[in-house]
Amino acid sequence: MQKHHISAVIISILMLAACVVAGVTFLEHRKVEPIVRGPGVTEIVKLSKWYPGLEGTAADTDVYIFKGEAPGGSMLVLGGTHPNEPSGFLSAVLLIENATMASGTLYVIPRANNSGFSHNDPQEGAPTGYHFTLSDGSTRFFRYGSRATNPIHQWPDPDVYVHAASGQTLSGNETRNLNRGYPGRTDGTLTEKACYGITQMILAEKIGLSVDLHEASPEYPVINAIVAHERAMPVASQVVLGLEFSDITIGLEPSPKNLRGLTHRELGDATDTLAVLMETANPSQGRLRGRTDEALALEGKDLYYIKAQQLGRLYVPFDEKGHSIEERVGRHLSALIEFAFAMSSEYPDQPIEINGIPAYDELQQAGLGAYLRPLQ
Amino acid sequence: MKIIYLTIAAGVLVLTAWNLWTEKDWRKQATAAMVAVPLLLRVLLIK
Ligand SMILES: [Zn+2]
Repeated sequence: MQKHHISAVIISILMLAACVVAGVTFLEHRKVEPIVRGPGVTEIVKLSKWYPGLEGTAADTDVYIFKGEAPGGSMLVLGGTHPNEPSGFLSAVLLIENATMASGTLYVIPRANNSGFSHNDPQEGAPTGYHFTLSDGSTRFFRYGSRATNPIHQWPDPDVYVHAASGQTLSGNETRNLNRGYPGRTDGTLTEKACYGITQMILAEKIGLSVDLHEASPEYPVINAIVAHERAMPVASQVVLGLEFSDITIGLEPSPKNLRGLTHRELGDATDTLAVLMETANPSQGRLRGRTDEALALEGKDLYYIKAQQLGRLYVPFDEKGHSIEERVGRHLSALIEFAFAMSSEYPDQPIEINGIPAYDELQQAGLGAYLRPLQ
Repeated sequence: MKIIYLTIAAGVLVLTAWNLWTEKDWRKQATAAMVAVPLLLRVLLIK
């Protein structure tokens, strides 16, 4: 054996060891954390019920159904459209583990982009996940995912993403963004198929209101806001006023007609649902952030964002208190309660009444962990 | 499309491994090994 062959063998062994260490970490990310079935959940079904083409794929995802004691209207909550936005996903989890329906039907999809939870974005330094301490002292862990579908499940990306229904062009990586693929299609990418499944579900179940929960970086103009389809404007304006009475300031933006593929545009156009999207402020996904860790995702405190605020560069107030996960989830949950209330007053023959959700102040005081159920 | 890209990745992986084996300078061998890591993880559909 020549000398350079000996070094080749040694280096190959080191290379394989690196592959094993990295590979185990990446495979670990595919584990799905349990969500505890709360008292109001009447049925858990797969999205493939509405579009069988999703069956067995990474895009098939759980749909939690809450059938109320009394009949009424229906409402869909999408959490985890973007799995790197914890407040959307966690609001859905809190609904599943706590909500009960007095009237109407609630549909909750906590992992709307299921594949996006199986990896996280390279070169973002994002935390693997985050922990909560529960009232009984136990802990729950949830993963911090990626904005987009896992390339293992959908590869390669084209150079330019063409939105099928409109011909709108976007950067190639948006091909894996669930919130650019609506209304979806059966002969498209896995992401477009997931969009199609959600659209079919809304059509089949005649869902009256669809709310897509998001977060955005503090330097993004649409933040602490509701984006509403034109048909959803009357209901959304009532929500803004209702939240104002609880001292929660929220903006209201009309869904742009020429920005295609997003829930607040396409679901409203393709179905009879009133489509809205909501944003909270999450510095852990921003461009100006410093150290990116679990604390930043949960507490939302960041020195550089305070500096940016002082320079007038942000669209939300930002001080040393930051924007905690309790504040962000509290905003989403309070808005959902207001939406149910507004729907019931706008359509009195189709009431939607959700109970059991922690109020904004309760969540701030007790912490989010107090409203998660221990794993058996 | 995915299968074509996987075949390309597997092909480049084989060439990289061949380069690692025939290269005489250990530093260049180490470079080849670093290039091989993501290729191997993608070919195995891990990352
Ligand atoms: Zn988002």
